Amino acid sequence: MSTKHSEAAERFQKNKSLAAWHDETLWMVRAKRDKISRQLPEWEELRQMAHDIKMYSNSHLDELLTEFERNATANGAVVHWAKDAEEYCRIVHGILNDHGVHHFIKSKSMLAEECGLNDYLEEKGIEVVESDLGERILQLMHKKPSHIVLPAIHIKKEEIGELFVREMGTEPGNNDQTYLTHAARKNLRHKFIEAEAAMTGANFAVASTGECVVCTNEGNADMGTSQPKLQITAFGLEKIVPDREALGVFTRLLARSGTGQPITTYTSHYRKPRPGGELHIIIVDNGRSEILADRDHVQTLNCLRCGACMNTCPVYRRSGGYSYTYFIPGPIGINLGMLKAPEVYYDNVSACSLCHSCQNVCPAKVDLADQIYNWRQRLQQYGVASKSKKFMSDGMKQLMEHPALFNAALGVAPLANHLPRFMMYNGLNDWGKEHDMPRFAQESFNEMWKKNKIQK
Amino acid sequence: MSSREMILANIRKNTQTKYEKPDYRSIEEHAIRYPDLIGQFTEVMKQMGGQAVLLQEGDDLNALIRSLYPEAKRIASTVAEVDTAFGKQTVDCGAFHPDTVAAPGDLDGTDLAIVQGRLGVCENGAVWIEQEVEQRAVYFIAEALVILLDRKALKNNMHEAYPLIETGKYGFGVFISGPSKTADIEQALVMGAHGARSVTVVLV
Ligand code: SF4
Repeated sequence: MSTKHSEAAERFQKNKSLAAWHDETLWMVRAKRDKISRQLPEWEELRQMAHDIKMYSNSHLDELLTEFERNATANGAVVHWAKDAEEYCRIVHGILNDHGVHHFIKSKSMLAEECGLNDYLEEKGIEVVESDLGERILQLMHKKPSHIVLPAIHIKKEEIGELFVREMGTEPGNNDQTYLTHAARKNLRHKFIEAEAAMTGANFAVASTGECVVCTNEGNADMGTSQPKLQITAFGLEKIVPDREALGVFTRLLARSGTGQPITTYTSHYRKPRPGGELHIIIVDNGRSEILADRDHVQTLNCLRCGACMNTCPVYRRSGGYSYTYFIPGPIGINLGMLKAPEVYYDNVSACSLCHSCQNVCPAKVDLADQIYNWRQRLQQYGVASKSKKFMSDGMKQLMEHPALFNAALGVAPLANHLPRFMMYNGLNDWGKEHDMPRFAQESFNEMWKKNKIQK
Repeated sequence: MSSREMILANIRKNTQTKYEKPDYRSIEEHAIRYPDLIGQFTEVMKQMGGQAVLLQEGDDLNALIRSLYPEAKRIASTVAEVDTAFGKQTVDCGAFHPDTVAAPGDLDGTDLAIVQGRLGVCENGAVWIEQEVEQRAVYFIAEALVILLDRKALKNNMHEAYPLIETGKYGFGVFISGPSKTADIEQALVMGAHGARSVTVVLV
């Protein structure tokens, strides 16, 4: 019995050296996160605060979004509202069309990915250039990101070297990362300068000031928005935060969790249009307001898109981003996919060992693994055959019946029998080595039991 | 019904439990502090791939900047003079003011930009820069960036920094922590993805 995920994971594992590199590299990023988070004695309190702010802001969206709109408008921005992907694309295109834009430079935006913006614009004859290096590489390769923060983590430098020979005229055979990065810098400089409009996503939108905050390491959002005078910034409505004090909390967590840095290089605050320019802000729903009604899954809206849950996930690390059928992979992607279209994306719920590591590292304390467990219990609703459901929950069942096994170590033999073949890579014993690890949270187990969510 | 009305109506209809806004004071009070702010800032700047230099008594700021970037020919500066711990100094090694160019793209090829920082954060090396000139590009497009920062403007953490920042008349400001960087090719860290390849904060 297999799922789309486990089949794709097996394919990923066929390239043994890439698979091993992928696993080790992401684990290294996770270890950096551990190290840097331990430098702050208040770390756990900070996570709790981030969670509490998000619970507040996502339960006061109407007030905060209208406050944002008022302030942004007073700052001179034009605020648009898009109920779905189609409307968002239409608004962006409308703005570009009104200004006769042919060259459009973008910084990374998962929202644009979600809504298929690039394809939409290119069909209408607008050249879209991704400016984040990883995104640009993938765009030139006609590939999709496999990680939300490290989009090209699955691509080897040799492939990039070959690509750049064709696209940027670099020396054949020179695959040095510094050389290639600086070639892209030069190449993209021209793109920035010739663009007639620039677009960014937003990590945070601040209600009390009407400003949008964008975090990058490369400075690509700022290079874009400081050349052409037409700026478009779009965000999913859950990006709203009440005030700058809240930013104090989130900016401390985001990069530490995602990449193990104390902060991103650039944390840019866009409040007004440039002199003689325009700033358009698009607030996008695209299903988010529906999630509010789902008590079991509403916390997915707390996500900061830091990527930590991917880096830590033993399944993600060993199977790669493309093994998931939703465009956001890993623990958060499993849940977002199910909220989007469970009948389409249910395969992904098998891509979880229920080790709970994701929710132990998540800076906003999203209850990722509890949610995945919950989806598995609801699978029959979506017409998933009982056999495949059994496959998905066997590992979990084992845990429920013998919780002590889990507490002892994850790599115990009886459990291993219930894991798909690809997860046997490297033996399972390295799971046990993962410090800070994945105890099966007794508390949440009991909680689930109490809530009667666990059906034998 | 407009999309705006529809979205807001949907939000109101679907919102379940309303949660209180948390009191930030607890985390602000418990946030990390450093006994030696200058020492910590200098250390964390290194970690971010940049450097911090403390101006010494008798140092000539212009000579210091030139010694840091001896190769720089095309130098932009947004700062005319600066108050240091040892008195006022004029900044005259900047050959031109960024607003003298016709288009922001003309700033491409700037070797060094000298700009003013408003405050620095010791937990992460971030320096708040409020846009002070029309050509915002100057903060990002130059190959190297020198940020002049009052040594007394160092804060422990972001909670202390945020209430103090402003975005000014241009409505833009940015925390910059070290040089532009990327690890998008096989996770190898490379400085100078799009913004400055080198950043020096001079604590004046
Ligand atoms: S769910 Fe949490 S850990 Fe995962 S990307 Fe979102 S904020 Fe990061």
